[in-house]
Amino acid sequence: MSENNHAGVTRRDFLELGLKSAAAGVVLAPGVMLYSAAEARPADEPASSKVRWGMLIDTSKCASGCDACVTACEKENGWGGPNSNEKHSNALQKSQWIRKVELRNVDTGATSSLPMMCQHCANPPCVDVCPTGASMKRADGIVLVDRHICIGCRYCMMACPYKARSFVHEELENQSVNAPRGKGCVEACTFCVHKLDRGDGTTACAEACNADGHKAILVGDLKDPNSEIAQTVAKYATTQIRAELGLNTGMRYQGI
Amino acid sequence: MKPINKLLLLVSAVLALTLSVPAAAGDSDSSIKPVIPKALSGTKCVDDPEVMVRTHMDKLKHQRDLTLREGIRTKQFSLKECINCHVPAGQEAAVQPGEETAASGKSSEGHFCMNCHAFAGVKIDCFECHNTRPEKPAMFHPIVTPGMEATKDVHQPDSATMLNELAGSNEKTGAAQ
Repeated sequence: MSENNHAGVTRRDFLELGLKSAAAGVVLAPGVMLYSAAEARPADEPASSKVRWGMLIDTSKCASGCDACVTACEKENGWGGPNSNEKHSNALQKSQWIRKVELRNVDTGATSSLPMMCQHCANPPCVDVCPTGASMKRADGIVLVDRHICIGCRYCMMACPYKARSFVHEELENQSVNAPRGKGCVEACTFCVHKLDRGDGTTACAEACNADGHKAILVGDLKDPNSEIAQTVAKYATTQIRAELGLNTGMRYQGI
Repeated sequence: MKPINKLLLLVSAVLALTLSVPAAAGDSDSSIKPVIPKALSGTKCVDDPEVMVRTHMDKLKHQRDLTLREGIRTKQFSLKECINCHVPAGQEAAVQPGEETAASGKSSEGHFCMNCHAFAGVKIDCFECHNTRPEKPAMFHPIVTPGMEATKDVHQPDSATMLNELAGSNEKTGAAQ
């Protein structure tokens, strides 16, 4: 029934074997490296501060009017969309983990389009202000809400310069198993932490963007000098939105 | 001393009355137990049921902090894995028709966790955020570690056997590939 089990080795076992044998990267073909190799870690090992997850968004590749990343996030994490489980909230109240923003330079008229979500700051203001410790940053730089202890005060929503967080106003059912979410808690982009933890090495938004052929979103480990994102960031000028705040965001933008 | 004795008598009388009412209402003792739906056949719990009844909350709480805050995603005491076996999709309605269940926290009837929690009057918080259903209809992975398997002398069919059994019961054509 399952072709994966023919040799007694599952696909995941095979991948893990391959990944363990090559710490830095795997050469798939001459000149083609699989950079996600260093990112997989065993399930019983905590996230390490040797990794810093980051995203590089090339706004020149991001198509105006395309919202594939948003719908992919909705589907993956079970928020929003036409069949939203927030039945009573109005459009302003509903959760929005990621949104598309169209920018226009009033002087030059130049326009650009980009996805906006939690910027996963190294110095996150939402964590500073949280009275319970629910707003937290994981060792690998992913900023999360621990809904187990979130009291829903929404201080973090006010502190966030990117307006990245939402509050759930009503009881929910049929949440995604990937992203438990419920009434009275604040939530935001989780950097698809469930995907990264199982070694996917990418996020739902990036996958959708690649599938659509735009390839505007690059996900990787900023601390790994061999990763594509680290090399790109080292080579080209990239922008942190509101860099003057000194938050050191994990999300970098190119072309704005 | 007299008034206290009186009070004690009264209390015991009231207690006896209250306790006897539900017992009298049912036909037998079993009628006042919660309905506990069976877990996915062929699976075995991560610990003895008696131990799990007493300690599952501690295990889940410990695991939740490790998972969320540190990213440790071992499957042994994960709520997701509990649900995968105990609330298999399609099996949540396995309670006999007409049989009253105490579950009503959500739209589900006969939910493994909720039946017992409603019976015991314990407010369950997990499912205000976590889905009450598993992701996939059936999971074919062992959640018992080899070490635990060695200490327990219980037969557990491997996934291939289970698949074949399933295929055999669904369509009488023979074994699956």
